[in-house]
Amino acid sequence: MITLIKISWRNIWRNRTRSLVIMIAIVLGLMGGVFSAGMRLGIETQQFKETVETQISHIQLHHPEFIANPEARFRINDGFSIAEQIMNKPWVEVANPRTVFDGMVASANMNAGVRIKGIDPHMEALTTGLDELLEDGTYFEQEGRLPSVIIGQRLARELKAETGSRIILTFQDIHGEIISSSFRVEGVYSIASPSFEERTVFVRASELNEIIGDQEAVTEIALLINNLDDYQQRTAELKELFPDAEVRNWADMAPSLHYSLEFLNQNLAWMLSIIILGVSFGLLNTILMSVLERVNELGVLMAIGMKRVKVFSMVVLETTLLSIVGGSFGLLASFFMVKLLNINGIDMAGAGGAGLEEFGYSSIVFLEVPPNFYFDVGVLVVIFAILASIYPAWKAIRLSPAQAVRQE
Amino acid sequence: MMKTVIKTTNLEKVYNSSVAPVRAVNDVNLEFYEGEFTAIVGPSGSGKTTFLNLIGGLDKPTGGEVTIDGTDISKMKESQLFDFRLRNIGFVFQSYNLIPVLTAKENVSFIMLLQKQPKDQMEKRAQEMLEQVGLSDKINSRPNQLSGGQQQRVAVARALASKPKFVLADEPTANLDTESAFNLLDIMSRLNQEENITLIFSTHDQRVIERAKRVITLVDGAVSKDEKFER
Repeated sequence: MITLIKISWRNIWRNRTRSLVIMIAIVLGLMGGVFSAGMRLGIETQQFKETVETQISHIQLHHPEFIANPEARFRINDGFSIAEQIMNKPWVEVANPRTVFDGMVASANMNAGVRIKGIDPHMEALTTGLDELLEDGTYFEQEGRLPSVIIGQRLARELKAETGSRIILTFQDIHGEIISSSFRVEGVYSIASPSFEERTVFVRASELNEIIGDQEAVTEIALLINNLDDYQQRTAELKELFPDAEVRNWADMAPSLHYSLEFLNQNLAWMLSIIILGVSFGLLNTILMSVLERVNELGVLMAIGMKRVKVFSMVVLETTLLSIVGGSFGLLASFFMVKLLNINGIDMAGAGGAGLEEFGYSSIVFLEVPPNFYFDVGVLVVIFAILASIYPAWKAIRLSPAQAVRQE
Repeated sequence: MMKTVIKTTNLEKVYNSSVAPVRAVNDVNLEFYEGEFTAIVGPSGSGKTTFLNLIGGLDKPTGGEVTIDGTDISKMKESQLFDFRLRNIGFVFQSYNLIPVLTAKENVSFIMLLQKQPKDQMEKRAQEMLEQVGLSDKINSRPNQLSGGQQQRVAVARALASKPKFVLADEPTANLDTESAFNLLDIMSRLNQEENITLIFSTHDQRVIERAKRVITLVDGAVSKDEKFER
């Protein structure tokens, strides 16, 4: 076997230029494939992070009426105790009870409809990392005469408000009575989604609950789970545990994102397969040429007693080695390319990326490729190469030794 | 009494062409004995190469049989023939046909390697054979670093290294200049005597014919003369 590998290896380098050309084709093909995959996975990760992790979480629980009428009276009964029960599950990372409902915000300049989220600042930081999104001000550190509110940058612009400004929130209490209450802007956050930034304000749940007259009010429980792959199973589990609640996962809440990610994954597999298939045909051509040039030599090998299976293996090995060398360099180059573009990102603003911002995603795409992706692609390249070598190898062993040795 | 190594009985090879069947080997009955140095001669198209292919197990006869050491190889399956050739027959070709990516020593060892001989024994024998053909200083040279004559000497060393029952050489001197051809013939005659290996050549080359102890002339696939000489 060692001799066979040695011969195959040396055979590759008999026509250095041809082997280098096909290796460069493999390297470029892989870089192209990994770049496209990295872009798509980068956009996917970014979209997921911005939509799911920052805004909606993995799973949410509500009162069934709340989805159509986001009002304080549609509360989850025993919300805190349910949140605690959920939090105790080993597969739950965080279960965050909130008091959420729709209302109006007003400043001296204008008023607008908003979603008011009453939160536990610590739990919210664990769930959405809101504390890290602040562009200005502080994160629920102040205990003033007026309760604190954190608003989005766009909303702040519209209201012409800044940290320290007083704004008025108007909403219904648990009895459906309209209440207006003043809040002091303590912080201004920024995220990629313009609509979220314009329409969502955060206040302390304890203060909000006091205003609406229900200290135990919980209208939403947002969950992060340890293993996102299990989200469907966990949703079903929660539905069974809390049949009175409306349990929805991120795919239910953001179906367009879900389908777009599904589509991207499908698309990615096809695209990669086509690239590798193209490279495989290049390999097939190279090896076939190499076999046809060596008819006489292969005939001699068989004449002196080298079995057909060994000749077959030798040709397959040549292709495999060629693909391993080309593939390794290709994956190495791709790895460094992805590393570089993962740190610096690519600004797609000039290439249609501005559209991404309109949908609430950043136009700077950071390439993402999971480590096992390189392994999978490497294995795929070798498998395709072995498949591509079968025809030339079969051609080689079909030679009659008697005829082959006489060919020049 | 000399031991028979190869025996052909009513050996026949007919190629079916679109015009008419071509009888390349026609009812050949011959015996080759251990240690013989035989030249198969005849004009182009007389069937020399076809005959060598048949007795070398590279081609199957359409009639008759080839017996080597009592074994009828014409009835062997292809896989058995591969093994039989590997263990019993040495080949020297007109165009040397060394493996270009292997050194002289690796080329000489190659058949022994396929035979799975122990590494030490194989290396020792390869070294010894290269010394015998006067190429001990070229053991690490690749074929493209050797002259035609040197390459053919490596091919002879390769054919003889595994101590086959006989060696078939198809026009081995056809591509060599006179000096290289004589040099090669000296080596082959010496090895024929020292190693007692049966050598069978197909040739047009008068220089080879003059060295042969037996000369078989083929005409239209049939034996027209079988002469023995004291050299």
